[in-house]
Amino acid sequence: MNFHSLRLRMAAWYAGVLAICLIAFGGSVYLGLARYLDSTLRSSLRSEAQSIGEKLLVDVNRKGEKFVTGEINEMAPETSGRFIRVTRQDGTKLYESPAPVNQMFIPAKIPILRSWGPRPFSLEDASSGPPVVLIEAVPFVAPEGNSFLIQVGASSRDIRSVLHGLLLTLALGMPLIIAGAAVGGILVMRRALHPLDEITRTAETITSRNFGERLPVIRTGDEIERLTTSLNRMMVRLEDSFQHISRFSADVSHELRTPLTILRGELESLAQFEHLSPATLEVVGSALEEIARLTQIVNQLLEISRLEAGQATKEIGFVNLGELAISTAEQMRLLADEKSIRLEYLVSSEVTVVGSASLLRQVVVNLLDNAIKYTSKEGSVELLVETRGPKAVLEVRDNGIGIPSDSLPHICERFYRADKARTRHSGGAGLGLSIVKSICAAQGGELSIFSSEGEGTRVRIEMPRTNGKTQIANEETAHAYLHLER
Amino acid sequence: MRILLIEDEVKLSGFIKRGLVAERYAVDVAKDGRSGLELAQTYQYDLILLDLMLPGMDGSDVLRRIRKENSSVPVLILSARDTVQDKVTNMETGADDYLTKPFAFAELLVRIKALMRRGPVNRASTIRISDLELDRLSQQVKRGGQRIELTAKEYALLEYLMSNAGRVLSRNMIIEHVWDQSFDGITNIVDVYIRHLRNKVDTGHDSKLLKTVRGVGYTIREGAEA
Repeated sequence: MNFHSLRLRMAAWYAGVLAICLIAFGGSVYLGLARYLDSTLRSSLRSEAQSIGEKLLVDVNRKGEKFVTGEINEMAPETSGRFIRVTRQDGTKLYESPAPVNQMFIPAKIPILRSWGPRPFSLEDASSGPPVVLIEAVPFVAPEGNSFLIQVGASSRDIRSVLHGLLLTLALGMPLIIAGAAVGGILVMRRALHPLDEITRTAETITSRNFGERLPVIRTGDEIERLTTSLNRMMVRLEDSFQHISRFSADVSHELRTPLTILRGELESLAQFEHLSPATLEVVGSALEEIARLTQIVNQLLEISRLEAGQATKEIGFVNLGELAISTAEQMRLLADEKSIRLEYLVSSEVTVVGSASLLRQVVVNLLDNAIKYTSKEGSVELLVETRGPKAVLEVRDNGIGIPSDSLPHICERFYRADKARTRHSGGAGLGLSIVKSICAAQGGELSIFSSEGEGTRVRIEMPRTNGKTQIANEETAHAYLHLER
Repeated sequence: MRILLIEDEVKLSGFIKRGLVAERYAVDVAKDGRSGLELAQTYQYDLILLDLMLPGMDGSDVLRRIRKENSSVPVLILSARDTVQDKVTNMETGADDYLTKPFAFAELLVRIKALMRRGPVNRASTIRISDLELDRLSQQVKRGGQRIELTAKEYALLEYLMSNAGRVLSRNMIIEHVWDQSFDGITNIVDVYIRHLRNKVDTGHDSKLLKTVRGVGYTIREGAEA
């Protein structure tokens, strides 16, 4: 499962926020209830204490202490679980209730107060262990002037068991609610994101071949609909420019190649079938050479424009870059031998990339051709293929004439020549590096050139590497893969 | 042998026709797709050369109509469009070969002969030109009985030239045949290999077999200059 998926992240956030809200709510309910129960019990204890004072102790001097204790006993504090104690001014007990039937506390263990202020006060006693006994103490002064302290208490057990039950309900209920909400959230998100899935699926089937297709617009009136319509609009624009470039390149092909074909054909038949003087033959031959050069320029320009338009739909697959580099270089070895240039390979055999073998071969050919062309006799050219982290690196190094630093930024521009006079007669149209650059861009690679004049040049191409283990079913997936890697 | 050429550029069809007539073919020329299709439906041709961008009816449509009528006449497409897509589409429609403009006339001839199964390519196991002998089985080359050591590329180059002996092969044809398309456009690879081959084959012999036809290409043949 993908833990970074929007669906799960949204559900997690949602569940998290819900959990925080529930905990806050549960906490306040618990604390509120605890305080409410506590104060309700205390106020009833206090009113009981006050009524003992006002109804019984009022007559203590008149009717005698015996009468008062008898009356209090009549209230049967042991069965109602109450603790009642009346203390005289000198700290001696006037009355103390017997131990309650439920055995929640032992009255004798609750310490006797010897002095007190004029105001009622609250206290609690833990001598019988939890649960504590809550006690309300009310001072009472009889009309005759002798004062008493009336203490009425009760065990907090009932409050505790109510709160405990609440805590249990919350603790069991909250995780259930949160889990339910999370699952519901995932389901809701899945439903909500379903149109996006649909859009993605359709978008993936649209390639340069069926550009006419559009994404289905789901009339939801919200972000999803806006997304689909703007994607569709983008595809219309892409299709337009794609077709424009295709049409342009087809037109250019036709308009330039037809006259070239005629020129070439006419001159060739002149050279081969007529009996011309050597001088005329020379002229015809020279014209034919220029036609060949022109043809090459047209071909290369068209190739660059097609590469830039992303139309280079040549076979894409796994390419062993090292093998390809060496086999290509071997076929050019004689060019190096001619100039006694040492051609060396520093090639690792385990470098695999996804790309078009014929385009990559063209890269190697162009780079080596340049390196050999611009390296003087007995120089050296090195071809390097290696892995650097997630990248495959192809590098051609020479110790040739190098590139002047002011030319370096322009070296990949079409028709640019670092030194016009020198390179003119070495042939080529100045398009080699432009093609290399376009091929790199089309294959998700990066081209960098390091050079210092008189010392040599290093041209490096870095491409995403693959371990070659993933099986690519067809060209389309390979294309998608290429885009992902980019 | 009768060839139908459907091509709207008069000059282009002019020199193709001249060249083919010189090679003793009978050539009919149609200037647009419709009349080309009519000719193809009326007469029995041994080969049709078909341009793609035609007025009236597109070359691909002509091809489709010809194939629909179950005609199996070989069709060679001549087109300025050089994308893989164009080639694949037309080969699927039923073209037998595809040649991109501008082409060397020699290449057109080679392909025509291949399509008409007259064998331009000499498939015999030994090819002999004058006292130069190439054995395809053992991949050995001898001149005047003397063995010549060649590298693999030099051998492939010589074999290509010798199996098309007497025909001038353009640099482009040589590159595509001996190397591959990727090597097209680099400076002088063919010239360098030809020079080396010449050193091994012709140096020290009175008759020079490897000949340069300036601006056109290279050929191997007996006798004096081209």
